[in-house]
Amino acid sequence: MSIEILDPTHETGAPAFALAPRLPSLAGKTIGIISNGKRGTRPFFDAIERELTEKHGAIVVRRVKSNYSAPADAAIMKEAALKEAGGGWDALIAGIGD
Amino acid sequence: MLLTSKRYDVDDIMAAQEFYHGRGWTDGLPVVPPTAAAVEACLEWAGMTPEQLVGIEPVRERAISAEKLAINAVMAGCLPMHFPVVVAAFTAMLQEPFLLHGATASTGGCAVLIVVNGPIRGELGMNGTFNALASSDRASTAIGRAIRLILCNLLDARPGDVDRSTLGHPGKISYCVAEDEENSPWLPLSVEKGIPAEASAVTVMAAGAPRQLMNEWTTEPERILDTFVAEIRANMRHYSIYAGNYAIVVPPQLRAHFAAAGWSKADVRRYVFENARIRRKEWADCGKGAVVGSRGEQEYAGLASEDSLLVIAAGGPAGGFGAVIPPWFGGKSNAVTMAIGACFDCEA
Repeated sequence: MSIEILDPTHETGAPAFALAPRLPSLAGKTIGIISNGKRGTRPFFDAIERELTEKHGAIVVRRVKSNYSAPADAAIMKEAALKEAGGGWDALIAGIGD
Repeated sequence: MLLTSKRYDVDDIMAAQEFYHGRGWTDGLPVVPPTAAAVEACLEWAGMTPEQLVGIEPVRERAISAEKLAINAVMAGCLPMHFPVVVAAFTAMLQEPFLLHGATASTGGCAVLIVVNGPIRGELGMNGTFNALASSDRASTAIGRAIRLILCNLLDARPGDVDRSTLGHPGKISYCVAEDEENSPWLPLSVEKGIPAEASAVTVMAAGAPRQLMNEWTTEPERILDTFVAEIRANMRHYSIYAGNYAIVVPPQLRAHFAAAGWSKADVRRYVFENARIRRKEWADCGKGAVVGSRGEQEYAGLASEDSLLVIAAGGPAGGFGAVIPPWFGGKSNAVTMAIGACFDCEA
């Protein structure tokens, strides 16, 4: 005799990450970087910032979360809104490091 | 009762095991097949409807229904009468101070310690005496395991998925203890946290593994607590210096000395708060000199306040042992206490 059993998972499917549309050029664009703030992120994002500013002419804004285990602070998320959503950034990079 | 979860047919109980294991829906141990009848029995016992919203995990914006909690509770081996404790524990974990996503995703590898207080311990046959911190009794083991399966199946906190723990610890299989209120001179933890004494309650804490200690060579409360304090200091030196919730577990042999000296839990908490401190330069004694910097003389407290210490009376009758249970990581997650269920039979 078979048994009918139930699905223990959320069944909604994990939301897939979608890549943002590619900017035609980085020159003059404002790129936000949100770091989780761990020590290892500093040299990594320093290098990214140099790459973006020196090679591509972008303007980089760096913000660090107050708690690296929690979602970004509300003030950062407000600032991080892309320009088409009323914010000031053309693109953002969210990065974690350890 | 209309259950809306997807249903599957399997040939028998062994096929059910392989079905769930094969999909990554277990912790590796066998599960009780969650049939509709078993799940409905849990919901009926708790007076909940299947679609009842227990809460929303804010980071992933995932709604948690009573039906899904019950399915995982059945799988973990819970009886219907265990289910209200599972609901209360997970509801407490969804409160903002607990920082559920961070605590369950972190490389730090903590587990969720569940402390049960109140009359429900007796109703469920929970044992806060012998072997209190692991496999002490059926209800404690099943309730703790239910929380782990819920995290895996509803929040994807499986190893390598959302759970990024470097090591984890055995408490991640099940980490539930009933306080031994009957043999304790002290107020129950839940009462200290403001829950009425006649109510049952859970306290959840994002917790590291227990660190066992021993001091049966004194009767002085201060000297006994110096051993607990030394273990907290060791954790501050070796793991994390930052203040957070620590729990200490005090078995009867040591509790007797506190009772004889008239020490309350508040007295214990005050002594530990005042003494569990290290200076940053002590990191250099254990290989961490590279991060001492210029603040070597700065003092760090293990507890942000006296209230940060959870004092739990539990353990078997003999042995001058105790345990310190450290926080996941400083004060990022805070312990939450919540009353269990509602009194559906009470007269208004």
